[in-house]
Amino acid sequence: MTDLFVALTPANLAACFTGAVLGTVVGVLPGLGPAGAMALVLPLTIKLGPTAGLIMLAGIYYGSMYGGSTTSILVNVPGEAASVVTTIDGYRLARRGRAGAALAVAAIASFVAGTFSVIALQLLAPSVARAALAFGPAEYFAFALLGVALLANLTGGSRAKSLGMVVAGVMLSTVGMDPLGGSVRFTFDVGGAQAGLSFIAVTAGLFGVAEVLSSMADLASTLAVAGVRLRELYPNREELRRSVAPMLRGSVLGFLVGLIPGPAATIASFVSYGVEQKVSRYRHELGTGAIEGVAGPEAANNAAVGGGMIPLLALGLPFTPSTAVLLSGMLLMNVTPGPFLLRDNPQVFWGVIGSFYVGNVMLLLLNLPLVGLFARVATIPARYLMPGVLVLCAVAAYSDNNNVFDVWVMVGAGIVGWAMRGLGYNPAPLVLGLVLGPLLERSLVQALTIARGDVRGLVASVPAAIMLSAAVLAFVAPVISALARNGRGAHSPDPR
Amino acid sequence: MSSRARRDRWSAAGLAVVAAAYLFQARRYPVDTLVTPGPGLFPLLIGGALFVIALWQLATAARAEQVAGGRVDPGPGSRRAPLILSVVLLLYVIALPRLGFVVTSFALVLVASRLMGATGWWRPALLALGITLASRIVFVTWLGVPLP
Repeated sequence: MTDLFVALTPANLAACFTGAVLGTVVGVLPGLGPAGAMALVLPLTIKLGPTAGLIMLAGIYYGSMYGGSTTSILVNVPGEAASVVTTIDGYRLARRGRAGAALAVAAIASFVAGTFSVIALQLLAPSVARAALAFGPAEYFAFALLGVALLANLTGGSRAKSLGMVVAGVMLSTVGMDPLGGSVRFTFDVGGAQAGLSFIAVTAGLFGVAEVLSSMADLASTLAVAGVRLRELYPNREELRRSVAPMLRGSVLGFLVGLIPGPAATIASFVSYGVEQKVSRYRHELGTGAIEGVAGPEAANNAAVGGGMIPLLALGLPFTPSTAVLLSGMLLMNVTPGPFLLRDNPQVFWGVIGSFYVGNVMLLLLNLPLVGLFARVATIPARYLMPGVLVLCAVAAYSDNNNVFDVWVMVGAGIVGWAMRGLGYNPAPLVLGLVLGPLLERSLVQALTIARGDVRGLVASVPAAIMLSAAVLAFVAPVISALARNGRGAHSPDPR
Repeated sequence: MSSRARRDRWSAAGLAVVAAAYLFQARRYPVDTLVTPGPGLFPLLIGGALFVIALWQLATAARAEQVAGGRVDPGPGSRRAPLILSVVLLLYVIALPRLGFVVTSFALVLVASRLMGATGWWRPALLALGITLASRIVFVTWLGVPLP
């Protein structure tokens, strides 16, 4: 536990501050999300060493949740998907002259929820890690498969497309050396492909290059941001009183939703708004500029970040693109996340958790007085920002293995990612499939070998049987429900 | 026919072709037995799963076409600039090992900023110089990344 104070060394404080500022800027900018930004700075963080490097990456992740609300409130443009719901009441509050109060409540809610989730993370993660020590290959296979199934259901949009993207990601993970036998597959004798498709290159392409290509369709639009004076940044007593309960509800809900695979921060903010519509005393004001519509969702999306860290730190399983980049960073820094992380690298484990406390305080202090400055970042024209993103993508891709093959992969992923967006495919499940693929294959092969080829070995333990059944249910239920809907549609009389 | 449904159908067909090609290549790797699974088992399962999902998407798209009837979705915005930038990016990777990071990145930023609407040559050139030099100082000089 004393390792928590590792976060207070000057180098780690500087890493935390840099990550928090970068994260806020990324959150403010519509488009480039935290996963893409984290992938772009990976070469930098690797040089910092595991503790400082991971602290900076984590800072970008939760900092982006803080920044995302700024443009939602001031210009009705969410910087992040997780802040979309904040536009509903936040922007209306701004139009009524309460922008400062809304921004302050968003920052305070983010701080409260961030602190709540890190306390819960600190208490829960070691217990989950200890419990996970009993996990064998069959349990890991079942859990990873359940994660994949839930991802496909919760990503939003077409389930068939999301599932297709997860499986395509797993398919791409089979390029290169197979994780157990060492056979080289699907490389077509291309130099550099033996190491597999670089996760950093694919992420930089799908989230960086594809974003630049997509943004070219809307280059003419520039944001006009209203100025906010420091003295306007004080919510009145009534606004503060009304914010307390939604903040607390959002914190708990967000943390719980964060444990579930999928775009947890986004889902958490919508769930929180839905709950406020049901239980708030002022629910009739929601949608017209109610402070509850800012406090609840902003707390929820920040708490979800802490919740999402538990599967990563305790089990080594990332369920969001951002935690997948964190996992990739850990592996590049020779830190293996999972049940043994606490035993083998206590300084990294507690240092990262400690940095969450420090980072939340830094973000509160930064975001309140400097909110106007951060909002101005959103007004920088894309033609000056996006070319720099392309160069950063190339550097990130090349520096992963120091070969040009990865830059080819990055450009290919970027062009395919741009086409995918046009066709309604979400790239996030593909990235997660790419990360979970080797774990799925390794655990499946090991489980079969242990069970001497008997497939019943996959469900031999109670946890594995429960998780595998849940995974099958998650795969099959949407298909059955779609078939049932079609059946009802075929037999029901035409309403016309 | 809805253009969205048509796009969905074509993309699902493309996914099915990718899955079939993957399965065709996966045949080259031994599956062995379930007691000692070979490197071909997992690709076979994954390729098969992707093929089934692609067929499901095709069926979904076909149903959507029936429901959508003659509605026509608005098409995507201009694709010309992103397509040109895609070609520029491909040329960038070809030139990167031959001309080096500084020259190719300078050219990439210059052309990309012009494609994104920057006017004149001085501002894009200054931007390109600034980004390229800053990247070189940070990544090569400071962090020791051996860029080409």
